[in-house]
Amino acid sequence: MSNKMSKPTIYDDSYAPLLSPWRVKAKITAIFLVIIIFLMFSSWRTGVDLNELIWGFTNMTQITDKLFPINMAILGPAMNTLFETIHMAIIASTFSTLIVIPVSLLAANNITTNWFVYNTTRLIMNVLRTIPDVVLAVIFVGLFGIGVFGGIVALFIFSLGILAKLISETVESADMQPVEAMRASGANTIQAIAYGVVPQVLPQFTSFSLYVFEINIRASVVIGLVGAGGIGSLLMDQFSFNNYGAVMTIIFVIFAVVIVIEYISGKIREAII
Amino acid sequence: MIELKDLSLVYPNGHQGLKDVNVKIEDGEFVVIVGLSGAGKSTFIRSINRLVTPTEGELHVDGDNILNYKGRGLRKLRTKIGMIFQSYNLVKRNNVIKNVLAGRLGHTGTVRSVFNLFSKDDKALAYESLKRVNIDDKLYNRADELSGGQQQRVSIARVLTQKPKYILADEPVASLDPPTSHQVMKYLRKINKEDGITTIVNLHFIDMAMEYADRIIGMRAGEVVFDGPVSEVTEETFEEIYGRSIREDDLRGGVEEDVEQNV
Repeated sequence: MSNKMSKPTIYDDSYAPLLSPWRVKAKITAIFLVIIIFLMFSSWRTGVDLNELIWGFTNMTQITDKLFPINMAILGPAMNTLFETIHMAIIASTFSTLIVIPVSLLAANNITTNWFVYNTTRLIMNVLRTIPDVVLAVIFVGLFGIGVFGGIVALFIFSLGILAKLISETVESADMQPVEAMRASGANTIQAIAYGVVPQVLPQFTSFSLYVFEINIRASVVIGLVGAGGIGSLLMDQFSFNNYGAVMTIIFVIFAVVIVIEYISGKIREAII
Repeated sequence: MIELKDLSLVYPNGHQGLKDVNVKIEDGEFVVIVGLSGAGKSTFIRSINRLVTPTEGELHVDGDNILNYKGRGLRKLRTKIGMIFQSYNLVKRNNVIKNVLAGRLGHTGTVRSVFNLFSKDDKALAYESLKRVNIDDKLYNRADELSGGQQQRVSIARVLTQKPKYILADEPVASLDPPTSHQVMKYLRKINKEDGITTIVNLHFIDMAMEYADRIIGMRAGEVVFDGPVSEVTEETFEEIYGRSIREDDLRGGVEEDVEQNV
């Protein structure tokens, strides 16, 4: 008590504000409560049980026993199909990167002022993006037959959807003042875009293209599982032969290649941004 | 020659930008338009290169009514009218020489400009323009590395590279400090005198208008309320244009001698 008395009193009657208004605090608390309620409700509905999770892990040893020792004989075919997978990813990424240029301009509201064209392009791209890569692969393998070609088309559509969204949003955030200056000096629309917008979006464009290439490497493994060629198909074959040693080798190869490609493309992206 | 005849502009939201404006600007004149913000200065200037389109009256540039221009004709008109903006409007990530070459876009084919294939003459002209505003040493600097005054000089070089017959400057010094403002205005006046390029500048600083203009046009609420040579302008004229007494912040200030050696 005496201690309190001796303290400086200049702030005693002053108003100490909250760091955010109480309305904001109440809103954040409410959002957290809703999330917790959703979490509890969905675990109750789906019957998620922590015991099951722990018991499940005891089966792990059975699987690891089968996976090891790894089968090195599969390494040759694994490497061959791996290159096929990388080729698929490169071709699909390159074509989607080229096609996305006009598409992303049509899907950017600062470039495309025509309401109908803008919304139609957006709608098509949104629909494309809702289709999972595996479903696309099933469709195009069905159309073009088992093999690499269907896989490439599936990857192309898949990455076009992602790129169109990312790049059209980058275009929309571009500074339009230089474009106005160029239009005012007699440049046509294409010139104003090429000279005023492209330099602004080029670093992100390159970065997103590399990012999509990374995604395509992983996605091409997955779609290989449904017969779209590449290392994924080899993985599926070995699974069906219960050849788990070979499966583990293939998993290691995929793991290594994904790490290496992500490292390289990460470095390139760091350098350009 | 630029001639505005009974020119009016009503924006889609109903705001009257221009109201029965009648102005004739002879070749080689240096005209400063003054007025409060919202008085229609920008609308006046932007009508001349059709960044906005007046809704009534006639606007003649070199004898042609430009109000019905579109497409190729409009672009052709714009190649002979250079424009300078308050916020410089450079491509910030591009270097200075590329920004200056943008002034040639109107004279360059689409395919060539997409691949940055400018002719040797164009590049020489761009360099010459940079020399005229004393910023040729920043050739390869990115625009966003430059100060505001330097960026505005680059934008003047861009306009020079365009080889225009007219220059429109929309509040070119509003974002600059007093010494730099005088520097930019001196360059504009120098170009006007040396090349005989008709120049129309929007300003809201009274002292600068008095110092650099040959002729002053005063605007209020979209109407021209004063039009005459600087010699006829007094403080009462500005009070008339502004509709209130003159305040401290209507003046830019800045000592002229400080910048003399830089120009």
